Amino acid sequence: MEHIEFRKISKSYGAVEVVPPLDLSIEQGEFIVLVGPSGCGKTTTLRMLAGLEETTSGDIFIDGENITDKRPGDRNCAMVFQNYALYPHMSVRDNIGYAMKVHGAAKADIDARVEEAAGLLGLSEYLDRKPRNLSGGQRQRVAIGRALVRQPQVFLFDEPLSNLDAKLRVEMRSEIKLLQRRLGTTAVYVTHDQVEAMTMADRVVVMRSGVIEQVDAPITLYERPANKFVASFIGSPSMNFFDARIENDQLLLGHQRLQLAAQEAERIGDFGRVIFGIRPEHCRDSEAAAQLTFGVEVIEPLGSNTLLLGTVGDQKIMAQVDPRFAAQADAPSTIPIDMSAAHFFDPITEVRL
Amino acid sequence: MNDRVKHLFIWPAFLLVLVITLFPLIYALTVSFQTIRIVPPTPPRFVGFDNYGDILANARFWGAIGTTATIVVISVVLQYVIGLSVALALHHNVPGASLFRVTFLLPMFLAPVCVALIAKMIFHPVLGPANEFFTLFGLENLPFLTDPNFAIAVLITIETWQWTPFVVLLMLAGLQGLPAEVFEAARVDNISAWRRFRDITFPMLLPLSAAVIFIRLIEGFKIIDTVFVLTGGGPGTSTETLTLFAYNEGFKKFNIGMTSALSFLFLIVVIVFGTLYLAGARKLTQRYEQ
Ligand SMILES: Nc1ncnc2c1ncn2[C@@H]1O[C@H](COP(=O)(O)OP(=O)(O)OP(=O)(O)O)[C@@H](O)[C@H]1O
Ligand SMILES: [Mg+2]
Repeated sequence: MEHIEFRKISKSYGAVEVVPPLDLSIEQGEFIVLVGPSGCGKTTTLRMLAGLEETTSGDIFIDGENITDKRPGDRNCAMVFQNYALYPHMSVRDNIGYAMKVHGAAKADIDARVEEAAGLLGLSEYLDRKPRNLSGGQRQRVAIGRALVRQPQVFLFDEPLSNLDAKLRVEMRSEIKLLQRRLGTTAVYVTHDQVEAMTMADRVVVMRSGVIEQVDAPITLYERPANKFVASFIGSPSMNFFDARIENDQLLLGHQRLQLAAQEAERIGDFGRVIFGIRPEHCRDSEAAAQLTFGVEVIEPLGSNTLLLGTVGDQKIMAQVDPRFAAQADAPSTIPIDMSAAHFFDPITEVRL
Repeated sequence: MNDRVKHLFIWPAFLLVLVITLFPLIYALTVSFQTIRIVPPTPPRFVGFDNYGDILANARFWGAIGTTATIVVISVVLQYVIGLSVALALHHNVPGASLFRVTFLLPMFLAPVCVALIAKMIFHPVLGPANEFFTLFGLENLPFLTDPNFAIAVLITIETWQWTPFVVLLMLAGLQGLPAEVFEAARVDNISAWRRFRDITFPMLLPLSAAVIFIRLIEGFKIIDTVFVLTGGGPGTSTETLTLFAYNEGFKKFNIGMTSALSFLFLIVVIVFGTLYLAGARKLTQRYEQ
């Protein structure tokens, strides 16, 4: 069931259009992640949904009701901010229970729900501390607790984990995901970290300068990126791109010829100029593998696999190979390319072929 | 390096500070135990606590404390309440805020003597605009400066008029330093504007408020110029403040010993009021400590 709908919402600051008219609909109980490079308008979009930023045009619907002109407080959303935004002079208990108290809930109810949220988030021993005596991770948990107890229709997260260290981030992202699934509350989550987006989302919205490039499940984004931007943004290490030609079911890369996989050959066997994309992890053997020789410049052993960095002609390439793969720096090396995992984009529109 | 070199740098500065701050204080303290007259010159004579005793037995002294405290306490409360309200309005960019921002600060830049002179004209019982205003309500020729209660009210008004901008300035700086996200979080959580002010803004500004009020209290106790120009302490001694009383003792009777004693009593009065205030403020800020 559709829960949230953006209809042609846009945002301009003066003459600068930060978010051009944008459409998006979000299902009930879905975990949606907005992802994109810095400054692409993710926060702005989220804040328009929260009501903290006015829309320049367009309408936002929650549960079929037009909430575009409603005050933030009347939208029944709960928001978690990047800098926690806790009330510094209130204890953890008061921070979490404050909204309930203001809205006239009975003390017993507040206590029960605060205790429950604190238990869920592992904050029980810190209930009487002030925020400044907590670590970053604990503070963010308090902020999440504050959102939880309100039992809102929608959770909004604006980069809640970006102030935390890498290890904590990994822990917290699964915690948030788990909590959301248990509660079944629709969540809109903003991040610029594609790993976070991939691991948490039911569907990912990839944005670039205010424009939605693709909305899809994480695995679809990875396997069938709609254009070159999405392809380069999703996946790490990121995809290699080459200017190439397709002729006679073969890919011409410099003076090397790689045989296309059968179904690709059928589809675009004589396309002409293309952008050829291959992920580093798809430099592997398979039935449709073709051999590519390139000059290795740097070898980066990571343990579980090894990265080879080099150039094909004058174009850079990064390949992920087996740790025991025999390669030498400053010497040519031949690697298999799994052509069934290759991506092709139009050289002008950069749209997937 | 020989550490002794540091003494070369430390001691001159230390002595200088000692000479220019402590010496006058100690000198004044010794003078306060003597009788010294400049006009006609009489040789200093040690009189012990006589000066202090005389002052404490003088009803004028207690009257001056009462007058000063009344003016200061009421005007500081008004300054704070009005100042914070205006700062909030400016912070939330009410229409016309930018014009306000400039004009509102002007009174603070005027010398109190000028302010008093302006006020003297405004509150002239026959010719002043204040009189014309009250005449509209059928209250003609009110004795603004010649009735004790009116005169105190006028002084409070002037103090408030002149020093509210100071409070506005500092409170506005404080407001603008508060983290915006906290208030956005509260807005999303449907906390009304009044509760946001009561439960978030006000507590977060408490330490600053305490400091601002403290500064205004201490400064307020020194009030002399406006009183001097406007009423000269009259009618009778009903608007005489502590500093004006000291001035009258020192420069009309030229009794330096007595004046010094008065200064120290003034210091004690300020310390007493200041300590009482700080104790109260402390209690309040502790409740909201971060
Ligand atoms: N008040 C403003 N006036 C003018 N431009 C603004 C204003 N606020 C934001 N912008 C612009 O809007 C664009 C989108 O900003 P937004 O904060 O939504 O980016 P973001 O995707 O959240 O980026 P990040 O990942 O860095 O948080 C930016 O280019 C920014 O410069
Ligand atoms: Mg942002």
